Amino acid sequence: MSKAPLISARHISKTYTAKGAAKVTALTSVSLDFAAGEFSAIAGPSGSGKSTLLNIIGTLDAPTSGEVLYEGRKVSGLPPEEAADFRLRALGFIFQAYNLIPVLTAVENAEYPLVLQGVPAAERRARALEVLGWVGMESMADRRPNLLSGGQQQRVAVARSIVHRPMVVLADEPTANLDSKTAASLLDVMESLNKERAVTFVFSSHDPAVLSRARRVLHLHDGKLAPA
Amino acid sequence: MLRLAWRNVCRNLRRSLITVASMACGLAAIMFGQSMIKSVQRQLIEKATSSITGHLQVQNRSIKEYKFPDKYIDDPAPVEAVLARQAGVRAFGKRINVTGLVSSPAGSVGAMICAVEPEKEKEITTISSYLTQGRYLGTSDHEAVMGDKIAQRLDLRLGEKVVLMAQADDGSMGAEAFRVVGIYHTGSTTFDGQFIYVPLAGGQALLATGRKVNQIVVRLDDIGLAERTRQELMEKLGNRPVQVLRWLDIDHEIVAIQTFQNAILDIVLLIVFAIVALGVLNTLLMSLFERVREFGVLMAIGARPRWVMKLVLAESVILGFVGTLLGLALGCTLITYYGKAGLHLAVGDALSYFLPFPKVIYLRFAWMSHWRALLAVLVVSILAALPPALRACRLNPSEALRHV
Repeated sequence: MSKAPLISARHISKTYTAKGAAKVTALTSVSLDFAAGEFSAIAGPSGSGKSTLLNIIGTLDAPTSGEVLYEGRKVSGLPPEEAADFRLRALGFIFQAYNLIPVLTAVENAEYPLVLQGVPAAERRARALEVLGWVGMESMADRRPNLLSGGQQQRVAVARSIVHRPMVVLADEPTANLDSKTAASLLDVMESLNKERAVTFVFSSHDPAVLSRARRVLHLHDGKLAPA
Repeated sequence: MLRLAWRNVCRNLRRSLITVASMACGLAAIMFGQSMIKSVQRQLIEKATSSITGHLQVQNRSIKEYKFPDKYIDDPAPVEAVLARQAGVRAFGKRINVTGLVSSPAGSVGAMICAVEPEKEKEITTISSYLTQGRYLGTSDHEAVMGDKIAQRLDLRLGEKVVLMAQADDGSMGAEAFRVVGIYHTGSTTFDGQFIYVPLAGGQALLATGRKVNQIVVRLDDIGLAERTRQELMEKLGNRPVQVLRWLDIDHEIVAIQTFQNAILDIVLLIVFAIVALGVLNTLLMSLFERVREFGVLMAIGARPRWVMKLVLAESVILGFVGTLLGLALGCTLITYYGKAGLHLAVGDALSYFLPFPKVIYLRFAWMSHWRALLAVLVVSILAALPPALRACRLNPSEALRHV
């Protein structure tokens, strides 16, 4: 019996209905799988539905129809509390705008998933410092986000996304706000995490730098998956 | 969570300080108001009971108008015997209070004739302490002490004689001459212009009552014992045609003033609570709108909606605690200061018409009320956080992350 893929999206459709406006279809019957250890990207122009698909895969949004399964277990449509528990246990997120908590230091940001998991203070601090070391931010652990550059903030966000050892890291346009040099450096970090520590990454991006590094690229056009 | 909540509160320090200051000022104002009203009420009760009413009175059981007893206790001796043995009773004395006429060669005025046991009365009321001329009632049965306003109206001086007239127990008109030995000034228009004190024996002669009296006035060790002592006395005097009344059964006006003041206080409290609630609500809503994306991030990394709600509530609890602590400190400082320096209140002038009431009120703590206010401010600050907290926990993570 073959092992179920890590992530399996089946016939995902998403339609938005804005107040007083016509229906907008963001995704139409998208089906795809991701295996553990992948370093893959969902590509497509702005408005193609990449972020919507990533949000649905990350249980941040619910599909209008279709389902998302992790290792064969359906996670789409979970109640908000259960979805939050699932994300806390299984997912890491990296956002385009870094989205660190401004009142927390780099290490406090990095350890926050462990705070939510109820990991004891000493253990979570040690683990947060360890992952900050992996992304080259250990020396800036006590700085607040406003004292870090965009690239440094995104490295801290990467540390936060992997500190709790998730099944997959979902990165939504992670290099969009970075210059090419910083973006390349950040991709180096993520690539080495993927190779050396077996962290699974799924990106949504239209940045050629990301797409050139991804080992598999899935193209979305107008909410539909383009044939390979 | 508390660390994050605390830092969120400190994030916009000026806004948080304004909120905390409004809560603190609100609570301090409430405490000050409570203390002022309760201090006025306490002083009012103290003055009323120590000027005329006493803490308890024993009267004839068939009397309905307690302030102007129109029937007598025929045999006060057994009542006195019970009172002498009663725990908590500091002093008691017999009295006859009747309305009558005071005449001098210069004219006549209506007056409240108060026939008292002079030495016992000194332990029950403070009227002897207000003497400005002459002396207090002595051994003679036909001496009188009166307020300076009556003396002025009747053009009386110390040593001169007045004639008191009142309806005697047998229905006839009694008249007796008394020599003015003392004149007092309490500052109260009613007391200085209407009350005249004579020895009980002289009053009994005037009214032909024999040993009968219409009041036995009791001063207790503590006013708080009034109800318990009344019940105990009623049990012991149950077979006699008398009734035991508390000061508040007799002084309806004071109870009415208290009720009125409490109602006003409650309205003011409600307004202050509303202001505090709106302040907290405004701060937390502003803070919520500014942080929608952050809540989205927290939810994305695994914070449960209920956790986000608790975070917002924790911020409110922090604001509430700091605000109430500051308010408590400010309120205590104000009350302590005006407890020593005194507060000049126009209400003193108004009340002094009826009673010897001081123009300066010395504030005292009313902790039963203060704790309630403190708790209410805290609860209001938390309740005001509920709408923003519920709103935060209902956010859709993906929409929150798109929030600009």
